[in-house]
Amino acid sequence: MTGLIGSRVPRPQDHRLLRGRGRYVADVPAPGALHAAVVRSPVPHGRITGFDAADSGACALGPQEIAEHTRPLPTAWRLPGQQPDQVPLTAGTVRYTGQPIGLVVAAGRAEAEDAAEQVRLRIDRLPAVFDADAALAPGAPLLHPDNGTNRAGEAHFGDPRAEVEAAIADAAHVVERQLAVQRICPSPLETRGLLAEWDPAVERLTAHISTQSPHVVRQELAAALRLRIDQIRVVAPDVGGSFGSKVGLQAEEVLVCLAAVLLGRPVRWIEDRAEQLLAGYHGRGQRARARLALDADGRFRALHADIRSDLGAFAAQAGSGPAQVSGLTLEGPYRFERAGAVVTGVHTNTAPTAAYRGYGMQESSWIRERLIDEAARELGADPLQLRLRNLVDGPRHRTRTSLVLDGADHAGALRRAAELAGAHRAADEPGVRRGVGVTAASEVTAFAPSALLESFGIDWSGWEGATLRINPDGTVTAHSGVTSVGQGVETGLAQLVAEHLGVPMPWVSVQLGDTATTPHSDLTSQASRSLALAGTALARAADRMRERMRRLAARHLEAAPDAVVLDAEAGSYRAGTGEISWVEVARRGWKGWRRDSAEHVRLEEHVDFDPPAPTFACSAHAAAVAVDLATGQVRVEGYWAVHDSGRLVNPMLAEGQVVGGVAQGLGIALLEEVAYDPDSGRPRAATSPADYQLPTARDVPPVVVEHRCTPSEVIPGGYRGVGEGGILPPPATVAAAVAAAVPEIAAELTATPLTPMRIWAAWDAAQRR
Amino acid sequence: MSTHEITTAVNGRSRSAQVQARTSLADLLRAEFGLTGTHVSCEQGHCGACTVLLDGLPVRSCLVLAVQVDGAEVETVENLPDGGLQAAMREEHGLQCGFCTPGLLMSLAHAEREQLPADEVLTEVLPAHLCRCTGYGGIRAAVERHWNGREQR
Repeated sequence: MTGLIGSRVPRPQDHRLLRGRGRYVADVPAPGALHAAVVRSPVPHGRITGFDAADSGACALGPQEIAEHTRPLPTAWRLPGQQPDQVPLTAGTVRYTGQPIGLVVAAGRAEAEDAAEQVRLRIDRLPAVFDADAALAPGAPLLHPDNGTNRAGEAHFGDPRAEVEAAIADAAHVVERQLAVQRICPSPLETRGLLAEWDPAVERLTAHISTQSPHVVRQELAAALRLRIDQIRVVAPDVGGSFGSKVGLQAEEVLVCLAAVLLGRPVRWIEDRAEQLLAGYHGRGQRARARLALDADGRFRALHADIRSDLGAFAAQAGSGPAQVSGLTLEGPYRFERAGAVVTGVHTNTAPTAAYRGYGMQESSWIRERLIDEAARELGADPLQLRLRNLVDGPRHRTRTSLVLDGADHAGALRRAAELAGAHRAADEPGVRRGVGVTAASEVTAFAPSALLESFGIDWSGWEGATLRINPDGTVTAHSGVTSVGQGVETGLAQLVAEHLGVPMPWVSVQLGDTATTPHSDLTSQASRSLALAGTALARAADRMRERMRRLAARHLEAAPDAVVLDAEAGSYRAGTGEISWVEVARRGWKGWRRDSAEHVRLEEHVDFDPPAPTFACSAHAAAVAVDLATGQVRVEGYWAVHDSGRLVNPMLAEGQVVGGVAQGLGIALLEEVAYDPDSGRPRAATSPADYQLPTARDVPPVVVEHRCTPSEVIPGGYRGVGEGGILPPPATVAAAVAAAVPEIAAELTATPLTPMRIWAAWDAAQRR
Repeated sequence: MSTHEITTAVNGRSRSAQVQARTSLADLLRAEFGLTGTHVSCEQGHCGACTVLLDGLPVRSCLVLAVQVDGAEVETVENLPDGGLQAAMREEHGLQCGFCTPGLLMSLAHAEREQLPADEVLTEVLPAHLCRCTGYGGIRAAVERHWNGREQR
């Protein structure tokens, strides 16, 4: 088939999902399955001196059983010298409210929750600290006293500090701000959950789990439970959103598997929303002292940020990863003489922070774009011209942190976003000010190769594999290690396979998420990489298979391969008057008949793709806002997103990724925050989604999306990546628009979310000045 | 915990169950009747993922007790005909992970039966449902396509 790549093909699975036939982990049938509830720490810091489940009437795992049967989870991405470097599953000391202490198991979910409430805990409280700056102050309570500090570790990026400082000291103009991005809850609508089944006869564990990373889950489960990897099968069924929050294993999931192993019964656990807000790993939580230095005519000289990342009670699997990416990507799509960052991880008595869509790049965009808009304001320059003047151009640009941007259309995207927003006309009215902001971002996509991860000290691979099989009935099955978490990658992959194999798309079934059938993958669909990397591997496998099938058909037809043509509509090969069906070639192929003796028998191709470098996408966003000065309310009235994600396989799915990312970015900009109350030691929003506001259709205006499609130099098909791009610019773009509307408060727009309280307080203070 | 025998017409079929007083309608549908198309997300009535029709009106099934539907009629996503609404959702990419979709469909189906105009669906019905994936763009397009009979955006 031709013409599939680049077309808006609807997703095959939608038919099922729209009829109520989704199969999420809570829906996987398991007769006789028990239900688990997690016993959690009610305090932010303390020593556990008692765990008594005698009154619960349920089967319970306490700290002693857990310690006896498990090992801590490994981490994959650490700061230099980071301690602790493992994720504890149980501890004599609890370090955040909601930390799992034990597990109870009962016949039903309600009964298990009843039983969990009956567990009697004795905890000697310790003083606690909830803020990263306070945690570094002298005399702060120490989370890990052996370290002697709450500083977990530090990493340096870019030019030597002295060189950056010299460039800043030498510059005509310097803008300095303290810029923060709040802690958020990723909030997929399907919470975490799993169904663990242990077969004592064969000693095998099967875990159906709502995850983005089945192979990593399998490895970590094996390490934690002291099993062989080949004793474990992990299956991701339909996953109701992840956004990075389901990339690793967390303590609860290990405990549920342990309960299944010890009891020899299936055990299910479905996290509830309050648990997700309280103790699911959070995202973001970063503060930076940042400086931009410019010369007299507006050329960027230097950029530097001291970034403090609130890791929470301990660093998760890749806990400091997002902050390290902030340091790595600080420059975005601009040229600087010198640039650098220092990233410091800090422990606090809060839930660990981990991956969330945008992964450090939203934070670095916030720092950089805020500084640029503030520089323009202070210099009286047009922010668009200031950006255009300093934007990278040309096919290749090496950043001061040694990333090589491969020629996405930065200037074209920025000019177009400004043009789209420029057509928007809305005037101020009494008490309401209006303004427009435009920002730019670049995004590392197709995160690889493996050697790059090794050089960063990340304990993961970067390659992606493909297994492509033509079955004896002629159907085509494609497996890859990437996963579908709602983004619809299986549709894009099916388009690629069908196009490269030359067959109709309905012949192709893309099957993901099962460690029993899929190639290994560490990073799976993280980092906007699945289509570019797994897609390339599958396309290559399909190219090979297409030729093998044609050669087989030629031998059956006793014709030269070049003379054989596949008529995909008719489902048959033809050469002259000879004809043989695709199905018959496949059927005979599996018999091993008439094959070239040098060729293997199985109609399968296995391809691994590890690109030479990562590629980069770019974007420019514009927002039009109205600010109600009486209430401080910011309403987004117009939003435009111009992206260059390279060649697009399915523009409809790409647009869906951008708009979904923008909505989440608007949540960061205006609504969402997990803020710890120092008195209770709990997040203020930890009980109800009424307190933690997710964007509704009233908060997200229609988003205009345009794509420029500059092929990637690195990925053979020209694909870049699109999964995270949408979430990077909105907070900085909305802030720029608010600053344009109310310049009196521009200097105070340093932290998100821009809540009515923050805006009103800044306006009120400006009025008093 | 007291238990109660209830009988309810679910998707046109009379069904009985023994339920605890605290059992929610959502849990009744999913655990007792095997109708797992109704999804449970926030369990506090905010997100709308668990919306079903009770005597023809949309309700959050996490906030309705099973004992309250004794003698009532319940309709779930499994009973919706696969018609233009679903086709529009497919064509306009109105769903990604699909977890919020069944509840949204129930509210949209009700709005369609009540002949609500498209504007009202977009401003009153859609904001009552949380979707974390789509940013509502594809859903808006699907509503517009279906309500206005538009061929193209």
